[in-house]
Amino acid sequence: MKKKHISLLFLFAALLSLPACNDFLDIQPIGKVMPQTATEYRALLTEAYSTVPADRGMSTFRSDELTMEGEQNATNLDSYLDVWRWNDVSPDETTLSFNWRTYYYVNYIANSVIENKDGITEASAAERDQLVGEAYMLRAYMHFLLVNLYAEPYTHCDPATTKGIPLKLNSDVREVLSRNTVAEVYASVLADIDEAEKLLNIEAWPEGETYRFNTLSVNALRARVYLYMGQWKQAYDYATDIVSRHGQLEDLTVTSSTLPNHYQSVEAILSMERIFTSSSLGAGFVNPSVLSYYKTGDMRRSKFYRQLSASATEVVKAGTNEYRCTFRSAEFYLTAAEAAVELDDMENARHYLTELMKKRYAAAVYPDREAEVMDMTRDELRQEIRDERFRELAFEGHRWFDLRRTTLPELVKTYQGETYVLEQGDERYTLRIPPEAIEANPGLEEE
Amino acid sequence: MRRFESTLLLLLFGLLAATAQNRTVTGTVLDQTDNLPVIGATVSVMTPQGTVATGTTTDLDGKFRLEIPAKERSLTVRFMGYTTATIALKNGQTDYTVRLESSSKEMSELVVTGYQEIDRRKLTSAITTVKMSDEIIGGINSIDQALAGQIAGLSSVASSGSPGAPVKLRIRGISSISGSQDPLWVLDGIPLEGTDIPSMKELQDIDNIYQTSIAGINPQDIESITVLKDAAATAIYGARAANGVIVITTKRGKVGKPQINFSMKLTYNPKTDIDRLNLLTSDEKVDLELALLQSDYTYRENKGDVARIIAGYGLTDAYKSGGWAALSPEAQADINALRSINTDWNDILFRDVFNQEYNVSLSGGSEKATYYSALGYYVEQGNVESVKNDRFNLTLKTNYRINSKLKVGASVFANRRKQRSYLTFNEGFTNPVYYSRIANPYLRPFDDEGNYIYDTNVQHRQGDDIVPDFNIFEERANTSNINTTTSVMSIFDGEFKLDEHFKITSQFGLQWDEGSIEKYAGQNSYAMRREKEQHIYNGTTILPEGGSNKITDSHQTQWTWKAMAEYQNRFKDIHDLDVMLGTEIRHNEYKSLYSAAYGYNNKTLTSTPVLFPDEDAGNKVPLHTESYAENAFVSWFATGSYTLLNRYTLGGSIRFDGSDIFGVAKKYRYLPLYSVSGLWRISDEPFMKNATVVGNWGLRASYGLQGNIDKNTSPFLIGSYEQVTILPGHSEEAISPNNAPNPDLRWEKTQNVNVGMDISLWDDAISLSVDYYYRKGTDLIGLRMLPLETGYSSTTVNWASMKNQGVEVALTTRNIHTKDFTWFTNLNFGFNDNTVLRETVAENSTTPSREGYPVGAIFAYKTAGLDDQGYPLFLTKDGRKVTATEFLQLNNAGASTLSAEEQRDLFSYMGTTDPKVSGGFTNTFKYKRATLSINCIYNFGMHVQTTPTYDPTNYDRGLNSNRDILNRWTPDNTNTNLPALMTENDGRTGEFLRYREQNLFRQLDIWVKKQNYFRFQSIRLGYDLPEKWLKPIGVKSASVSLEGRNLWVIASNYHNYLDPETMGNPYAAPIPKSFIFGLNVNF
Repeated sequence: MKKKHISLLFLFAALLSLPACNDFLDIQPIGKVMPQTATEYRALLTEAYSTVPADRGMSTFRSDELTMEGEQNATNLDSYLDVWRWNDVSPDETTLSFNWRTYYYVNYIANSVIENKDGITEASAAERDQLVGEAYMLRAYMHFLLVNLYAEPYTHCDPATTKGIPLKLNSDVREVLSRNTVAEVYASVLADIDEAEKLLNIEAWPEGETYRFNTLSVNALRARVYLYMGQWKQAYDYATDIVSRHGQLEDLTVTSSTLPNHYQSVEAILSMERIFTSSSLGAGFVNPSVLSYYKTGDMRRSKFYRQLSASATEVVKAGTNEYRCTFRSAEFYLTAAEAAVELDDMENARHYLTELMKKRYAAAVYPDREAEVMDMTRDELRQEIRDERFRELAFEGHRWFDLRRTTLPELVKTYQGETYVLEQGDERYTLRIPPEAIEANPGLEEE
Repeated sequence: MRRFESTLLLLLFGLLAATAQNRTVTGTVLDQTDNLPVIGATVSVMTPQGTVATGTTTDLDGKFRLEIPAKERSLTVRFMGYTTATIALKNGQTDYTVRLESSSKEMSELVVTGYQEIDRRKLTSAITTVKMSDEIIGGINSIDQALAGQIAGLSSVASSGSPGAPVKLRIRGISSISGSQDPLWVLDGIPLEGTDIPSMKELQDIDNIYQTSIAGINPQDIESITVLKDAAATAIYGARAANGVIVITTKRGKVGKPQINFSMKLTYNPKTDIDRLNLLTSDEKVDLELALLQSDYTYRENKGDVARIIAGYGLTDAYKSGGWAALSPEAQADINALRSINTDWNDILFRDVFNQEYNVSLSGGSEKATYYSALGYYVEQGNVESVKNDRFNLTLKTNYRINSKLKVGASVFANRRKQRSYLTFNEGFTNPVYYSRIANPYLRPFDDEGNYIYDTNVQHRQGDDIVPDFNIFEERANTSNINTTTSVMSIFDGEFKLDEHFKITSQFGLQWDEGSIEKYAGQNSYAMRREKEQHIYNGTTILPEGGSNKITDSHQTQWTWKAMAEYQNRFKDIHDLDVMLGTEIRHNEYKSLYSAAYGYNNKTLTSTPVLFPDEDAGNKVPLHTESYAENAFVSWFATGSYTLLNRYTLGGSIRFDGSDIFGVAKKYRYLPLYSVSGLWRISDEPFMKNATVVGNWGLRASYGLQGNIDKNTSPFLIGSYEQVTILPGHSEEAISPNNAPNPDLRWEKTQNVNVGMDISLWDDAISLSVDYYYRKGTDLIGLRMLPLETGYSSTTVNWASMKNQGVEVALTTRNIHTKDFTWFTNLNFGFNDNTVLRETVAENSTTPSREGYPVGAIFAYKTAGLDDQGYPLFLTKDGRKVTATEFLQLNNAGASTLSAEEQRDLFSYMGTTDPKVSGGFTNTFKYKRATLSINCIYNFGMHVQTTPTYDPTNYDRGLNSNRDILNRWTPDNTNTNLPALMTENDGRTGEFLRYREQNLFRQLDIWVKKQNYFRFQSIRLGYDLPEKWLKPIGVKSASVSLEGRNLWVIASNYHNYLDPETMGNPYAAPIPKSFIFGLNVNF
């Protein structure tokens, strides 16, 4: 009798093990994925590209490009007013802040792609290289933006000893970092660009995908990094390389021309960053002093700006996805010209400047403008190139950084009768590391 | 084998003998209590082995006729629900009357664990069973509320007083930190889904109309509740049971005539008196605003009607310099007019309500089949107008006995719940409880013509100065928020008995919950205006004219299939063996669908398409979102017990849980959870034979391992798909890695030791259970803040170990027992001591480690009064009184220049948020037909970090507030401990910023309050109506009752708060008082 039960028990036990099929447990959650294939890694990078902050647009509020006087939406005003008047100490609670974590989030994705290089499946070697190359570029660019927002300008400090921002070069979430020096950050940025150069192999992306790094963007980024470092020789070489490979300029004297920072313009090299969002567009108006930079016959005055009322002018070349722009040809004409002046190569300086001017000034006035340039002394030319850079790249997220790397000039703003001053070389030319970042890592506070 | 053969021989012999010489016996079987015939009872002659030799059943009149062998000396009469009776046959007597005793007592000797029914005398684990009774259910309408104070070691805290709000139950303290801390609920053997309670914060808003699936169960359908506390009891449920298990056993039909039960409850809930909140009157508020406008304090300076009136006359600057005298007579008159308005917002927003509940059930059955069917309806009106909660229940339960081997059962529990409220949007002030506290007393809701007056003083929690028109009455009239849940749980079970030793049981349960949340906002509502304002594009809103209707539909399905084989035998009369093997598979699916319509008109059900200017704008107004999730689980389990001489029992159980494995590292897939346990029944020892005082005396001990894994954190990068558009017209797939991966994550494990004793004395006059437990959790999983340079703000890590130890005592005494009067006392208490043994505090953490402290530790900065500017002074560890700047070494940006470790050291331990001692105390008095029961619950040793009554840097003068603001430090009022209002011009920028941006104020010790209370939860008087009144109208029995709930609470100081239980949040709906009339009739 006992035996019978025992055998029954075994029979039952055997029955019980039936549902042990792994198929039942093998559930692929809908909408979730562990990236493995090249397509999935591409989607991961797309997430990174789409979250790159629009802080270069925010920096427009800190520079001298905008006035807050005028009729605007209250929400927008509150979000930007304290950024605009450099009130970093006690900003209104709804003030928008510059990003910190988001840069590192993009960086985290870049690091994950770099680390998994050999694990990417269903990809040709070229595809894999391209993905990883883009990741290196993203990592370089994120660190580059961070160091230029949160650390003293390379050209105005001792880079070897000045604290910059933490370099995060792996995806390990357990690490607690402290700040690297400015020199270390720039060195890492340049090293990442070198890595990227070995891997990137796509020269031009089809329309709609031109936000992705291509082979041309390697030297474009180098030109900008060296410009910000004040290393004129390299800046010149890389900028002229871009001009020779991608020197097309929109001819603004032609009515049908596209705005040069439009993603479909012939100038576009990389249409990654969104600079001026629609909400920032509604928050401020073009500072009248900006308009005074434009001389008669400058086609940009009417193409870039639209007069709303006697006192208010708005920016045309901003506010939507169409105006995503990180690199475009004109920047490199100006970089080449500026570097040439510094290298005392007046001929090339004039050359690159006038090449751009030809496409910007009405044919009727251009000869006079050209003659002016030809007559300029070195100092006059240096200033003219800086002014031309402002005219060309205003509201494209360059001005704040250009002020920082050049003269850190005094800026004066008025709002409803109050005057606000950013003194020459003011420490507010460098942003405070956000309190939430310090709260999460008190080590960042140490000087 | 020999035994088997001899059985056969005996059987054969018996048959032979039967044919040889027979006689006929007749008789009647009656119910002992009502003398009514028992139909279908089995009358039989038993063999010495306990099998039926010959037998019959009683007829409709309870009569039987049976031929038996002449020499047979006894007959056995059995019927389900009655104690088996054996009658001795006398020579010469052929007709017998048998009276069967109802066996409800015997049933309670079996303990239902959801997998097995265990004989209490073999129970090795810590299990408490509560039989539901009218006294316990009382006026409540959700089962989680009924458990408060009933079970030692189970603490309960109401999440809020709003209708249908769930109760937070904890069994033996907290064992897990990141995971759920809620117990597992099991309904007739099938674990329920959707029983976890969301965080307290979300629940404390009255507008949060969340309910768990527990709310769908009608307490009237419940027979008993069993709480499994130690590992020996819960190990068989696996990882989900780490927080204990609550097993609900529902009522089933009893064999006998059909019974109809009708019950009804009428509840009166008066609105809460909010005097305790100490809000400012119009006079006080006007004076305060006048004073503030003249001071340096400028935060939201243009808010408040006083500032508005003065500004309206263009006298702001004049007033600031010249004071009251500088105001024109018109301005003065306008301001004084405010003083005469005293709107009692609590009075006009809240109401007294009557609530109703009706239940009717029909039950009965025969030996072959029993049935229980019930209908229930209950409706609760909130104290807030337009808030309503109702539930409709249908329960059908049938059990069939196909033959002597096979039993099957089927049951359906269906309910439909509807909660109505109005839309409170996602900003605090549209919540009526909050608004009644912050609305200025000088504001009127309507003008003389009855038009809405909009409140221009309120602001968004974080918002700009301009607020769309807001009036709470308009909001109530023009919006609605309706949550409808339809839930069906069906359970099928079968038991196949091969013979008296071996049986196979199987159970299949299907739970099906459909929920729909419909949020409607009319065109004339703040909710709609606000939403339109948030979507302004180039100066105009992109949302069309009209209202909006947003519907979220969710569908949750789970099924569980269990199969068990159980073998039970007794050998040589001294060895009892019971072994069970089983498997369980479970699958659940969750699906939700959100859809939004704008330009909506609820009269015509039409809507207008939204014209988006570009994709970006479109992304901000999602019109359709879906989600889907699916999980599967496979488990194996075994349990066994061996009992020697009815005295020594050894038990053990083990379970393997496997689940879907996406993103989970292989080594983490299975962890065997097990337990071993033992019982020694001392009262059955030979040496106790003569100790008649002791009825039952047993010692229990168990050890077990419980575990938990966080399935949301993976060692790998896991992303979810999104659709993004970076450049116009080119939409692409993106993978967004939502959580930071952690390759080091391991199982969290809890070891569990339990030692217990049960004793009953003097024929159960005193029965006492004492348990000591020790639970040690290691590798506990918790969320930790990450440096933002990782790209994430937090991740899940194994970071702590923790122990809980405690003592539970349950004492029931029968103090007086006479013919007419009895007095029972039931006292239970649980003492729990929780200590964090190890907590690896992240390098970057500025809050201290809880090592050596309870997990609910509250840390705060010790203060020592105020300085001569009215700023708090801090007490350093060496006893000095210093300013915040010195204490925290603040720089001008309000950041501390101390290292993270030094900052951690500045905190002092203030107490814990969890009760040290909790329990219940119930007294029941019966005099003749009347029963008085007084049910109290208590929680001691808790602390709470309250929300400060005002904020020194962001005090909003546009809102009403607590009187503490009047007693703040000012140059004229220096004898106070309440800090001054601070401004950035005090010359203390660092401190100012620290208070304003880093919530320093909240971290002061003055806001930590003791939270001890003893609550008279229920006082109930019941009366059984005499039969002589009822007989003529055909009623079998009836009772009426009166009950008062939450009438009093004795507590440590809860000044400024409505109730000690909801002190953490001054805006939580208070626990309401209620008065209940009940009627219960049996036909």
